[in-house]
Amino acid sequence: MTASPVSRKSLTFRINLAYFILVPASLIALLPFAWMILSSFKTLKEIRQIPPTFVPQEFTLDNYVRVLDDPDLPLGIFYRNSAIIAFANVIQVLFTSSLFGYIFAKFEFKGKKALFWFILSLMMIPHQMTMIPGYLILAKLGLINNLLGLIIPAAIDAFGIFLFRQFARSIPNELLDAARVDGAGEFYIYRRIVLPQLGPALATFGMLTFMFNWNAYLWPLIVLTEKNVRTLPIILTWFSNQQVDKTNLTMAASVLVILPVLFVFLLVQKWIVEGITFSGLKG
Amino acid sequence: MTTSTQTRWQRFFRGRDSAEKQFLAGAISPLVFYMAFWTVFPLLWGIALAFFEYSPRQAGGFLGFGEGNPFVGLQHFENMLNFSGDAPLEVQQFHIGIRVTLLFAVLVVPLNLLITLPLAFLIESVNDKVKGIFRTIFFLPVLAPSVGVAIMWGFIFHPQRGLLNAVIGEFTGKLVGIAWLRDSSLTVWGVPVALFAIIVAYLWQDLGYNLIIFIAALQGIPQGIKDAARIDGANWGQMFARIIIPLLMPTILLAAVLTMISAFQVFDIVQVMTDGGPDDQTQVLLLNIYSYAFRYQKMGWAAAVSIVMFLLVFSISLVQTRLLRTEWEY
Repeated sequence: MTASPVSRKSLTFRINLAYFILVPASLIALLPFAWMILSSFKTLKEIRQIPPTFVPQEFTLDNYVRVLDDPDLPLGIFYRNSAIIAFANVIQVLFTSSLFGYIFAKFEFKGKKALFWFILSLMMIPHQMTMIPGYLILAKLGLINNLLGLIIPAAIDAFGIFLFRQFARSIPNELLDAARVDGAGEFYIYRRIVLPQLGPALATFGMLTFMFNWNAYLWPLIVLTEKNVRTLPIILTWFSNQQVDKTNLTMAASVLVILPVLFVFLLVQKWIVEGITFSGLKG
Repeated sequence: MTTSTQTRWQRFFRGRDSAEKQFLAGAISPLVFYMAFWTVFPLLWGIALAFFEYSPRQAGGFLGFGEGNPFVGLQHFENMLNFSGDAPLEVQQFHIGIRVTLLFAVLVVPLNLLITLPLAFLIESVNDKVKGIFRTIFFLPVLAPSVGVAIMWGFIFHPQRGLLNAVIGEFTGKLVGIAWLRDSSLTVWGVPVALFAIIVAYLWQDLGYNLIIFIAALQGIPQGIKDAARIDGANWGQMFARIIIPLLMPTILLAAVLTMISAFQVFDIVQVMTDGGPDDQTQVLLLNIYSYAFRYQKMGWAAAVSIVMFLLVFSISLVQTRLLRTEWEY
């Protein structure tokens, strides 16, 4: 280090100041989670107490037992619904995005430019533009209150195609041609040579897609109106609206819905962060 | 390479042509059909809806148009320009929706940047090991479903049981029962307190995006520039204002535009926390569209409002593409 002693001193001061601000700021950032979790262990009586307590005076697991036992709230079914939609969409979106991204990057065909620009322009159209006719189409096809209604229209992600085109460009042509000389079919080349090359991008974009699907609210709210086909976010609001006087149960249900998945996302956070910084993608 | 091997290669690849064509046709034609049905068709249908009085409950001809769902031409758009006091309810609500949404976005963007930029700078300045911990803490809410976020914050703002009133009570020594989300008489500088409460929850969840984008951008600034400034005797504030901010300008502008676009489309948190209340003070545009289309079944009107909203978002997206095309030089 060639920095002068003065700047070194100011650097230490700066770092101390940083902690001085960052530590309280992160406590505030974590406060809502803490409030939710602590409240889920309180009795209803304690929650109704004025002024409210922060740490439970009387620690109880009763809320969880009752939420998990509630015949009105078969959490397992809603977990399953959310998982089916999210996994199906991740798989199909990764497949179409990588396949078409690769095709747009490495092949020449008539109308390629026009088609690609058309897909790009789709990225500019917000989802709510097609929300109403989308609902009407699903209604005509009888897919309202059907999980397929959230899967079939979601097979193509314009942004994903764009993203994978960027990645596929860097695959050397020699590698593809060598496989062709060896007699490999085109789809085989995509599956055995292109896909492995796209590995990190698949992981990153897959995680983002999963997160968006798992947390989605508006579109599932429109398509899934019957209780048993609902996903976790919708059932959570439904439950909290039903249980006006049962804040304790709502908090326990919220913890059960939010925390397990939050934990999983936390483990793969690196991929998600990378995806967002790389693409500037927002939910 | 000899001539004979060259021709052999050429022949080989000519033979491949049909295989390649098959592969392309097999992949591209389903794509075109799929997009025609699930994107182009709904888009056109959505535009057409805006010129009709349309309810899915009414019978009609092709796609439900006509008969019970009559053609009204530009009526919906003309109504939108009716600013008089006796305008139909949906028109008044539309005007409220535009106003609330603009207010929301205009407040969210600067507040977001004012928090995320210094925060990114602070996080970037600490030890690598703890850096990751801080980043994770502030990024955590991004990963949570916005519905859960809304329920958490709704409970914090609860008049009797909420954490916020309890904390205020602790400091003032009095019992407070402020109805942050329900009392329409509460305003600060003309902005409803309920809207502020939603902004707090929204910011809390949304900060992580810009934060990690800014941290990545800060890491991209060459160390040499920072060292040079330090040797020249720049202090922390000068460093931030004169070096860091100008260098980050392209990233900041892009982040601001992206934040604004997503702020325009806010729905989840508002619908769960206030459902547009009190007295429509938080009635954002997308909630308005949702209510008219799916609660009141006035889909023609809602489609017309969607087009206006699309134009709003689209104009910001155009700014974004302009920004992306601009060549920035360090």
